[in-house]
Amino acid sequence: MDHFFMLEMCSIWKEVDGTYWFRGRWYIIPEETAAGRQSHNLRRELYRTNDFADIEMESVIRLCYVMSPKEFTKANNEGDDIFLCEYEYDIHWHSFKRLAEIDNGEEGNEEADNDVDWDYGKDSGSDTEEDMEYEEENVNNLPSGPSPAHAVAANSWKGRIFGLNKIGTKKIPGHVRCHKQTELERAKATLLLATLPKSLPCRTKEMEEITAFIKGAICNDQCLGRCLYIHGVPGTGKTMSVLSVMRNLRSEVDAGSIKPYCFVDINGLKLASPENIYRVIYEALSGHRVGWKKALHLLNERFADESKIAKEEIRPCILLIDELDLLVTRNQSVLYNILDWPTKPHSKLIVIGIANTMDLPEKLLPRISSRMGIQRLCFGPYNYQQLQEIISSRLKGIDAFERQAIEFASRKVAAISGDARRALEICRRAAELADYHIKKLASPPDSSSEGKALVGMAEVEAAIQEMFQAPQIQVMKSSSKLSKIFLVAMVHELYQTGMAETTFEKLSVTVSCLCTSNGEKFPGWDTLLRVGCKLGECRIILCEAGAKHRLQKLQLNFPSDDVAFALKDDKELPWLAKYL
Amino acid sequence: MKGRENPAEDALILLRSRICNPNFVFTPFSDSPDSNYSKLKFIISSSVTEACNNSILLLGPRGSGKTAVLELVIRDLLAEHADMISVIRLNGILHSDDNCAVKEIARQLCVEHQLLFSKMASFDDNSQFMIAMLRECGLAHKTIIFVLDEFDFFTQGKQRLLYSLLDAMQSVMSQAVVIGVSCRLDADQLLEKRVRSRFSHRKVLFLPPSKEDLQRLLEHILSLPVDTSPPNDYAVEFNMKLHQILADERFKEIINTLLNSDSTVKHLLRFLFYAVCHMDLESGFLSLDNFRTAMSSIQRQPKMEYLQDCSILELYILVCMKRLEVKEQNSYNFNSVMKAEYKGIHDAYQTSDYYARNVCLRAFEHLVQRELICFMDNRGNNQSIEFRAVKLLISSHELYQGLKSYRSCPAILRKLVDQ
Repeated sequence: MDHFFMLEMCSIWKEVDGTYWFRGRWYIIPEETAAGRQSHNLRRELYRTNDFADIEMESVIRLCYVMSPKEFTKANNEGDDIFLCEYEYDIHWHSFKRLAEIDNGEEGNEEADNDVDWDYGKDSGSDTEEDMEYEEENVNNLPSGPSPAHAVAANSWKGRIFGLNKIGTKKIPGHVRCHKQTELERAKATLLLATLPKSLPCRTKEMEEITAFIKGAICNDQCLGRCLYIHGVPGTGKTMSVLSVMRNLRSEVDAGSIKPYCFVDINGLKLASPENIYRVIYEALSGHRVGWKKALHLLNERFADESKIAKEEIRPCILLIDELDLLVTRNQSVLYNILDWPTKPHSKLIVIGIANTMDLPEKLLPRISSRMGIQRLCFGPYNYQQLQEIISSRLKGIDAFERQAIEFASRKVAAISGDARRALEICRRAAELADYHIKKLASPPDSSSEGKALVGMAEVEAAIQEMFQAPQIQVMKSSSKLSKIFLVAMVHELYQTGMAETTFEKLSVTVSCLCTSNGEKFPGWDTLLRVGCKLGECRIILCEAGAKHRLQKLQLNFPSDDVAFALKDDKELPWLAKYL
Repeated sequence: MKGRENPAEDALILLRSRICNPNFVFTPFSDSPDSNYSKLKFIISSSVTEACNNSILLLGPRGSGKTAVLELVIRDLLAEHADMISVIRLNGILHSDDNCAVKEIARQLCVEHQLLFSKMASFDDNSQFMIAMLRECGLAHKTIIFVLDEFDFFTQGKQRLLYSLLDAMQSVMSQAVVIGVSCRLDADQLLEKRVRSRFSHRKVLFLPPSKEDLQRLLEHILSLPVDTSPPNDYAVEFNMKLHQILADERFKEIINTLLNSDSTVKHLLRFLFYAVCHMDLESGFLSLDNFRTAMSSIQRQPKMEYLQDCSILELYILVCMKRLEVKEQNSYNFNSVMKAEYKGIHDAYQTSDYYARNVCLRAFEHLVQRELICFMDNRGNNQSIEFRAVKLLISSHELYQGLKSYRSCPAILRKLVDQ
């Protein structure tokens, strides 16, 4: 590839003299970056930059295609001018960043969303004069670029948009591009909670209901405001289903079959205070930042005020409120406002609230529960078949798990909570353990499937033990000698007196008796106090501050059976079993 | 090892600096694949190499090496992947308020990436900045490690910070690891159900070292390096003597007694520090006596020592209070002690130790300062000392033993306590 220049067209206009101009964004080849060409760069690889230029339309030579890696591998017939672009390069900071659009296919940024970019290239064989001209012009016409001259703090509202250009890596790490993922690594990647699955199994019925609800609300010419209350325990796919429905609807909007709408996604637990929700809603709808009182006033005007005639041009607004129970204030005014606006005519506001408790509307004031409680949708905990399907669909095409392992994990989780996150994390941890065995211990986990490292039930069982078994039995078993005597003395006291709570004075007497009867040296009261406080720190027992000395009250934090189970077979102190 | 004048002094300095350096102490534990170091390093490095998110809890009693091993892992990872990791450190005691914590995260992120930080940004701004940074760093293949010390303090209140952080890790393509360090074994039970659901429940438990590990640790810390270019005879002899001590049964007994009360590594290190500081610089070698001295330092019982330091009058007051308690009087104050007991004793036995009231009051205050007795209420600051209810903070056994070993205890006191 000789010298030539490639641009992505962003906007076109006609000058007063009749010529057409466009603003373009430069693409560069690896040699032109500060890091130079790396060993992992492909022959036809480009980097997108944040360097813009205004160029006359006549200097365009021809069209070429720049694609993401996935499309590049599939492309075959578009001719010779196909290039690959996976990263963007910042010309000021000389750093690279992966293009965000690759991961979120629908997450558009400010530029054109088309996959096929209209690029115009210049051949080196053409007028060098014109090149020079345009280079000069480019120098003059270069905009100030995305980083403004005045310093803006990165964590302020304005600064966030510009200030984070600096974040990038100076060199693209080789392992990211060259390393071929093993089956286990692919399995781990798909089981990540952050990875969006291609489809959401087991929630089709609920998603259809939500779609029907929204479509019913916005497709009406009148667009009556409505509320939907979605509830279910954590990990049942509520937020994910709603967001998936919204994604599907957006593609319908793009296709033109539905009128456009605004979508605002709010999380009650991320707000600094319930009143801030007004500010956040207003900012999302208008882009302006105002205080919450003013925002409330303006939102009232938009949703509740009947006098405005220009209501027909306002788009319907869909408001999704996650963790709705965090918005409950003492006088419940925030919730009342939010749920009241949909009932006003011409408000065009649709509210979807998500919470965990089934009876949240009942706990609120009647005027609110009447607005919220009409339409409800329950997301029940998953049963084991559903969990199995969720995990298997993520792992489709990847041969890393034994089928029984997935079923075992699903059954275990379904029996306790039915939380999909827990099931996915257990499987991911099992895969991690198997991977660890291979990489560190240099032995495959299951010797029967030689060479092929499948995750089996043993790994899943180990993962469950590690993640969900309470650690106090292990800690009690491995604690110091005096700690064990201390705990046994507490159990003994419990058996003798029947009362869970004891004082340090009584306990030290018991410990003293235990020690003298069994040939152990009594350690001294201050040492014993320290032993007790150390156990209290771990919350194996509950105790008051050590400054209370003999008056300190103590209590076991676990059932005495746990202590008995941990200590009765102790090798160091076999005589403990007598007292348990 | 320079300084031929006094190799013992150099050795002392070397040993003391080693004991105080957690990185040095925990290095021998890092090579075995079964160790916490390896497990922790694997989880964090997989976040770097495979771009995954994880949240881990390090649990174990205080002094078992959680922060030390974590710092070792971070140090080694920063050496391996220099540019690709940034570390944000928070402490639950300092930053338990959500606003403060998010602001601190934003500040540290700005410092790590050389961005400008504004103190005036609100909670919303800072949390959105944090989420934006997570996304941008994920796109740039950079991992952010959040270390949350005293994790259980972050679970107070609405757990907004934990929720935002864990939720961001779950929904944004980021590469982040959240490591919570806590001495409470039930730290994950303190999480609210929504936060618990998003937590990935990786746990690393820190247990006391086994006997073999202990032996290795002692040798690792106390042996002087011998592979210096002019061969160091002093070091060789030092190590030989050291091995003799370590193999001695009496030494093993000392170590056993030490670990009987507290088996954490920190306790052992404190003991070793004492022992090393008592090394005789004349002879230049460690001896068994050093360890014995250290042991007796550690085994000190402060309350017994306070009793030995008490004046006779103070002992009288303590015995009087004891007698009142034995008589089932649960609530008494200075006045009742004086009236009921003190006067009674002197009337009965005609001792020479009868002092004026203000002298007794001074002795009484002294006992309060020494924490041998304490006031029962917290709000009685308006009342004068004489009327406030008090109680003994030492048990009758301790008092008895204290009197027995007191250098010139009046026989009358011993008799009174015996009754």
